[in-house]
Amino acid sequence: MTEIAMELIDLKKTIGKKEIIKGLSFTINRGEVFGFIGPNGAGKTTTIRMMVGLMEITDGDVRILGNSIKQHFKEAIREVGAIVENPEMYPFMTGWQNLSHFARMIPGIGKERIHEVIEIVGLEKVINQKAGKYSLGMRQRLGIAQALLHKPSILILDEPTNGLDPAGIREIRHYIRKLATEENVAVIISSHLLSEIELMCDRIGIIKNGELVATQLVNDTTTDHTNLRQVTLEVKPINQAIEVLKANHEIDAIQEGEQLQFQSEKETIPNVIETFVKHGIAVYQVGVSKATLEDKFFDLIGENTIE
Amino acid sequence: MSNFYQLVYNELNKIYIRKSTWVMYVILAALIIGGAVLTNSIDDGLNKYDDDNWREVLQEENTALEQEITEYESDDFIAQINTSEIGKNNYYLENDIQPQYGAWQYVLENQGMLSIVSLLTIIVAAGIVANEFRWGTIKLLLIRPITRTKILASKYVSVLIFALFTLLFVLLFSLIVGALFFGLDGINPSIVVEQGEGFTDVSALSQILSGYGYGMVNLIMMTTFAFMISTVFRNSSLAIGTAIFLMMAGNTIVAIFMEKSWAKYILFANTDLSQYANGGEPWIEGTSLGFSIIVLIVYFIIFQLLSWFFFNKRDIAGN
Repeated sequence: MTEIAMELIDLKKTIGKKEIIKGLSFTINRGEVFGFIGPNGAGKTTTIRMMVGLMEITDGDVRILGNSIKQHFKEAIREVGAIVENPEMYPFMTGWQNLSHFARMIPGIGKERIHEVIEIVGLEKVINQKAGKYSLGMRQRLGIAQALLHKPSILILDEPTNGLDPAGIREIRHYIRKLATEENVAVIISSHLLSEIELMCDRIGIIKNGELVATQLVNDTTTDHTNLRQVTLEVKPINQAIEVLKANHEIDAIQEGEQLQFQSEKETIPNVIETFVKHGIAVYQVGVSKATLEDKFFDLIGENTIE
Repeated sequence: MSNFYQLVYNELNKIYIRKSTWVMYVILAALIIGGAVLTNSIDDGLNKYDDDNWREVLQEENTALEQEITEYESDDFIAQINTSEIGKNNYYLENDIQPQYGAWQYVLENQGMLSIVSLLTIIVAAGIVANEFRWGTIKLLLIRPITRTKILASKYVSVLIFALFTLLFVLLFSLIVGALFFGLDGINPSIVVEQGEGFTDVSALSQILSGYGYGMVNLIMMTTFAFMISTVFRNSSLAIGTAIFLMMAGNTIVAIFMEKSWAKYILFANTDLSQYANGGEPWIEGTSLGFSIIVLIVYFIIFQLLSWFFFNKRDIAGN
């Protein structure tokens, strides 16, 4: 039984005459880590800003545990912890002072809870230093600590691994997974690091030009419900093979050294080989691999990511 | 409501945790001590009335002042000052009051410090909203289960509390420094002041309260103005600049447009409520105490509404 944590209903944002977000609809379940990816300028941050009520929604709605962020802001935002863009803190206050400051804004957060979140993000040693002296990684951790203070049902993290070293990334990744499975928190992570998303998320939503291009389970790409394959062939002569492919199957293959590479559906692979044999092209080796998330991403948004 | 108290606590904490705030207090303290040292060294005659022959001293002073008036016959300014001074001395003589200079007198004279307090409050008001945008922390403030109106209100209230603390600091520190330099002349001595047509002796405390109280009107209006500019434009320098410029140029602005029929609606024609005290003639024709209070309230509401509107409506976009 999955419980919906956040629901986007035909969410739109228009600034001036330009439509930045063109009707986003998707849901995020409790206990799920949802990756929100897309090229720069696709509208990730704008969407996140609307999710947390920092930006006015032009049309549509965001519902958090059933509460509209527009009509019931306080009830809705109570369930959200977030870092929007960079993890900015008061530079003249220590980590501890920063956390107490935000703790005071929500009733019922005691010192024990502050200690708890400091331990979670591993900032014990530097918590009494001024936040202005923190490295980006330390600020990122403090940002996550701040977002966790009030035990939110939904955690929204904008580029959470930014500035963290590999060990730190692993730690945070581990912690995010734990939050989702053990505490049933819905985690929304925006990122442009595809490999990161792949390792951390259950499901991804790909956004381009303010539109949702696709949502899919990350496991899809490995257990495979889609049929897209990355095919590598060792054939001779290569030039003739490229022409034959184009003429018979309308596939644009590229030459990689001695090999030929292209993407196609699983079913067409035998046909391709048959065609090669018919045309007297020697096939030495056939390699088939499943498309990675990265291939998928570029498939969906195109190579030219910034528009 | 306890929630609101926490918000105000947070805001005051952010003001007083910064070193720049304490630098302001150090400057205030230095000015107050400096003023006392200056008064002490320049006005060598501070103790000239302390002896039993103070009546003769006053008489001599009057003769000297009268001489000066005849000497500089063409100079109205000197005549005016000296006449006033003679009147004051005569009042002492007629009522047999021995002139004294003490801590309370010093506090009263330090009324000028009120413009420094205004300046500091304007700086705080100008930064309290704009800085959150500069630091990027506004995003973290506004994703709490608290309405924007409440956050804005807590910031405004904190500015007023800062003004109050700073004012109390000036009063108390002046009193202490005054007591150290000139001695404490009782708990609430009476002092001689010019009121309306003549001189009277009034309680020092009431004189201080009314003097500083009238000054507070301008302080609150300019602070609210700076707060508004800070909220609307999210730029503390702009807010400090415009507010201080208007504070300094206010009277000049009124003087320039004095002849216009709408001059009485200019904010600065109404900020000095002391002009109505003691039955004096108002500065601009057509104003009265009631009129000025209404004009002040209208300006105050406009400033507050603009701040509220922009703080509530605007999207919090990138830095």
